Amino acid sequence: MDQGINRRGFLKLGAAGSALLATGSGLTLLSGCSSNDGPAEGYRYFRQQDVDLLTPLVGAVMGPALAAAGATAADGMKAYDDLLEGAMPGTRATLFQILDLMQLGAARWFLTGTWAHFADQSDEELQQTLADWSAKENGIARMAFKGLTQPMHMAWYVKPEAASTTGYPGPPKRVIA
Amino acid sequence: MKDLSTLQIKVDDPWKNPAENGWDVIDGRTITDNRTLEADVVIIGSGAGGGVSAEILSQSGLKVIVLEAAKLKTSDQFNLDEGEAYRDLYQEGAMRATKDAGMTILQGRAVGGTTVVNWTSSFRTPRETLNFWRDQYAVDGLSREELDPWFAAMEKRLNIEKWLVPPNANNDVLKRGCDALGWHAEAIPRNVSGCWNIGYCGMGCPTNAKLSMLVTTLPGALKSGATLIHSAQADTLIIEGDTVTGVKVHPLKDDKTPNGATLTLKARAVISSGGSMQSPALLLRSGVPDPHGLVGTRTFLHPTNFAYGIYDQEIAPYYGAPQSMYSDEFVFKHGVDGPAGYKLEMMPMHPGLNSALVGGYGETAFEHMQRLPNLAASIALLRDGFHEDNTGGKVELRDNGEPLLDYPVNDYLLEGTKRAHLTQLEMQFAAGAKEVRPGHAHAPYYKSWKEAKAGVANLEYAPTITGLGSAHVMGGLTMGQDDSRCTVNSDGSYKHLNGLYVIDGSVFPTSLGVNPQLTIYGISARNATKLAETLTA
Repeated sequence: MDQGINRRGFLKLGAAGSALLATGSGLTLLSGCSSNDGPAEGYRYFRQQDVDLLTPLVGAVMGPALAAAGATAADGMKAYDDLLEGAMPGTRATLFQILDLMQLGAARWFLTGTWAHFADQSDEELQQTLADWSAKENGIARMAFKGLTQPMHMAWYVKPEAASTTGYPGPPKRVIA
Repeated sequence: MKDLSTLQIKVDDPWKNPAENGWDVIDGRTITDNRTLEADVVIIGSGAGGGVSAEILSQSGLKVIVLEAAKLKTSDQFNLDEGEAYRDLYQEGAMRATKDAGMTILQGRAVGGTTVVNWTSSFRTPRETLNFWRDQYAVDGLSREELDPWFAAMEKRLNIEKWLVPPNANNDVLKRGCDALGWHAEAIPRNVSGCWNIGYCGMGCPTNAKLSMLVTTLPGALKSGATLIHSAQADTLIIEGDTVTGVKVHPLKDDKTPNGATLTLKARAVISSGGSMQSPALLLRSGVPDPHGLVGTRTFLHPTNFAYGIYDQEIAPYYGAPQSMYSDEFVFKHGVDGPAGYKLEMMPMHPGLNSALVGGYGETAFEHMQRLPNLAASIALLRDGFHEDNTGGKVELRDNGEPLLDYPVNDYLLEGTKRAHLTQLEMQFAAGAKEVRPGHAHAPYYKSWKEAKAGVANLEYAPTITGLGSAHVMGGLTMGQDDSRCTVNSDGSYKHLNGLYVIDGSVFPTSLGVNPQLTIYGISARNATKLAETLTA
């Protein structure tokens, strides 16, 4: 195959990523940003540092979709939290591991191409970060991009008020017999 | 397309008052003390394998307990809300994915298993697949001729027949495209009775027209004296010497974590019917003897890739029977064990699923989401497990014992995906699409087949950016008489322990090349009947 990846290269990258995740989690534990902090106020699962990190990103990823439903980035973030209710504890633990890692500037640089915290970037800068991040060639950056943004979309568009902005007329009504 | 949002659905729910029907149904959330229950047979899992087994074994006079981790949810609660369906009826709330996030996995977690949320496609196992199993794994007694009577019996039980109602606009794209190109296309057999053709199979059928295990074999088993325990998770098998004598169970709270009580189920026979990933994980947690280290290996997904077409006319991919047309033009085109073959079907698209698959960010992403009413979504399901470069994935345990599938996306799958993308692009342009985009993070919408061909040639086919998913998890506990490569005999008995049987899709030595439910029904009916004969002899 002309554009194919080298499998051994990918596995090596995977191993490096796991090592990075392990180190990152260790570092965040040392710095006090551990996954034991408990959920932020008003949230069932996301911790305050996750809310601070991800809310600006939700705003940038969802773009005009939020305003079209009369909503804000905070509403999108709450929807993301709702989605986690269906997940298993192990599913959430994996997500939190990536989020712990992304508290580190070095990890953000490796994954997204910039050291800056998402909350410290302007709207234009965030769009540029997403453009750079989604075009990255390293496998771990691609996994992080998909792993974080895919659930954001799903979490938002399953909400009836968001679903209606896509032109979906909505489901039939179930009436209890 | 008619707007169905004003349609009212009012249908009786057979599960409204289980006790009034004389059904013995225990809600695990109410079990707060440690207790022991005994039966002839304990069946772990209530999906395609467990449901069929439960009915057959109960009707032969055996005392059966069916155990299900999911909370009971039935048609009165199927309110067609996409988010609630993912939360309550899917593994990991539909957030399940392979270890490196390369493939997303939609698998059911419900009383009735995946049959409650599947799209009703019902095919007999291809002859080529069954012959491959016989030749490569010494699978015994499961030739197409030997299985045909079992398929016929289950087709009768579940009213499986070719869907003769005209396809919805989404499925009509497949028919038009294939017809124009001279490719095979045919109507799909479905397990429905009095289907309303509304399109919500994936959220729990609100009309009970889909003949899932929830409304067929499970009520059948309960009527014959079986007990159903839901909201309770099988933790480990109880192994005494070389015999399985029961299972240790943790009742679950609403948040799916153990409530602290322990339920012990004892039986002469224990059947693992949790489905692929869950069944291998149960055996791994239990530390079963496994001399060749095979448990969890050879897990397959029918890695599925996508193409999205935009049409001038309204498609409304959210309404109408979700799958009604298919093409087998490319399934065995390059032989059974050559480059990956693929089955072509269509996929229903509701806003949540659409957004997760289409992806992107910012303004462009929202523009793409707003094209939903005019969008047709085709899929190609790659046959995995037939070629030496494609041995599938391996089930591992997370630290807390939950299953996780390690299935790296390799060149074999990426090459097959690239060919399948081209096939779908050609098909959708032939069906009259104005623009088509393959499911690939870096691909734009192409305006013509010529432009698409050139575009795909220059796309990077690599894991994660190449959109892949699965709604068919198979294998992990390979069946066959070759002891060095298989863990389960062709009759479902585990090779290295007495009293343990595996009756679900995890026994498949490869993927199938067709949607799996009818294969699971047929083989399960055959092996449960054999087990009933043994236990009542």
